[in-house]
Amino acid sequence: MTDKEWEPKIVAFCCNWCSYGGADTAGMGRFQQPSSLRIIRVMCSGRIDPMHVLNAFLEGADAVLVTGCHIGDCHYVNGNYKAEVRYRFLEEMVRELGLEPERLQLNWISASEGEKFANFVRDVTAQIRQLGPSPLKPEGVN
Amino acid sequence: MVKVGDRLLGYATDPDVRSRGASGGLVTAVLAAALEKGLVEGVVVLKRMDEYEAIPVITDDVQEVLASGGSMHAVPVNLAKHAVGRKIAMPGKPCDVRGVIEQAKRNGVDLESTYIVGLNCGGTMHPVVTREMLVRMYEIDPEDVSGEEIEKGKLIFRTKDGEEKAIPIDDLEEAGYGRRENCRYCTVKIPTSADLACGNWGVIGELAGNATFCEVMNEKGKRLLDNAIEAGFVDVRPADEKAIAIREKVNSAMLSLGSEWKEKVFTEMPDQERLSYYMEQFADCIHCGACKEVCPVCTCGEDSKCTMFHSLADNYRMSMYHMVRLLHLSDSCIGCGQCSDVCPVDIPVTSIFRRFADPAQKKRNYEPGMDLTRPPFLEVMLK
Repeated sequence: MTDKEWEPKIVAFCCNWCSYGGADTAGMGRFQQPSSLRIIRVMCSGRIDPMHVLNAFLEGADAVLVTGCHIGDCHYVNGNYKAEVRYRFLEEMVRELGLEPERLQLNWISASEGEKFANFVRDVTAQIRQLGPSPLKPEGVN
Repeated sequence: MVKVGDRLLGYATDPDVRSRGASGGLVTAVLAAALEKGLVEGVVVLKRMDEYEAIPVITDDVQEVLASGGSMHAVPVNLAKHAVGRKIAMPGKPCDVRGVIEQAKRNGVDLESTYIVGLNCGGTMHPVVTREMLVRMYEIDPEDVSGEEIEKGKLIFRTKDGEEKAIPIDDLEEAGYGRRENCRYCTVKIPTSADLACGNWGVIGELAGNATFCEVMNEKGKRLLDNAIEAGFVDVRPADEKAIAIREKVNSAMLSLGSEWKEKVFTEMPDQERLSYYMEQFADCIHCGACKEVCPVCTCGEDSKCTMFHSLADNYRMSMYHMVRLLHLSDSCIGCGQCSDVCPVDIPVTSIFRRFADPAQKKRNYEPGMDLTRPPFLEVMLK
């Protein structure tokens, strides 16, 4: 695998009600964004188990994005509080593992913020391109 | 009648139990009394095989409890999991006690019906390492040993012909023997979260060696001790100021030594090296699941699925199993060292888990197994 062939592969966990809608809006608004993103839709960001994130890294994701509704806007009252508690903790764990902190990011995106979503993806992709492939990427995975 | 918070010196009334116990047989007698008077249905005791091996058993025979006295520093088992789902009394080092408390927080143990007699602990030794140490440092045949003792920072072994040999523990640890690594940097030496906190620290003068310093930590401890006194199994007297001060002094000396070790063991590693260090260490893993099996704070029990997360076909750089363990232990790891002890391929599992758990626990000012009022920090607190 040469460096030329490598393109960042980013896994984004999006909640059904806000950030997935945000991704939709980004598409409808025709905001340019890199094709490095793989979206996994969950009903609520509170559904995101730290293990999902770690598994994504082990499967070869170069970065994992955790996104959800703005705090206070959760469709299920407090799911994103729960996501945040876990995220703060996961952040420490990923750092302790020795992965760059840029590889795991959290952002709250509402359904109308298509442009924010597109910018976020663009920023992360640029950061990851700088960092190079994830050291946890299995052999043979591009 | 004793009161909560009382600090007492006590010993077993039976002279035989008193002489067999490491320091007055108070703990043995309290446990036996609890069983005799029906406070509990069983008592966890260590059934001695030889100097380096003992099996934890749950017994309802008072005589067996009375016969189990005496401490074994080279048998580092953790008893916490034996308390799960039972109505028992158990003795325990600080790590046993903390294990039970963590189990209780996750509804594994019903603390109302579990009585814990905590024992002060300055550290335990790995049986295999102890044998090797006896040959190399003491020049004694391990089979000839009839007893061991820790006194004034020295580890003393007695042989069957009545000879004694003492070497300072510092010298032993300098040479890589002595206490297990996690015991060296352990931060809890007096089990204040137990019902009774017992030990020989602070016992001086004529009582030295045949009485136990005992602090009543809560209502259950009071019930336990009152029961033993009423049954005529133990005698207690209040400890004087001097005894209390000496106990504190020993404790703080041990703790400061522990924090020195901590700095020695957990050296800073640059980010890039850290990842390759973890991957390298875990690459040896044969996925036997023993570290999970012995873990006193793992509450998944037999239903746990973490051992199934590993498949060779996955071709991952690190196993998902270790990721799950790292996650689960960050808020509950008590650093008891069981996982390193049992690892068949000698991965320093405990020190790796501590590297993750220590900063996370420190940041949240959370000491697992010490305080029942604080929920695990991964439990989300909603306003």
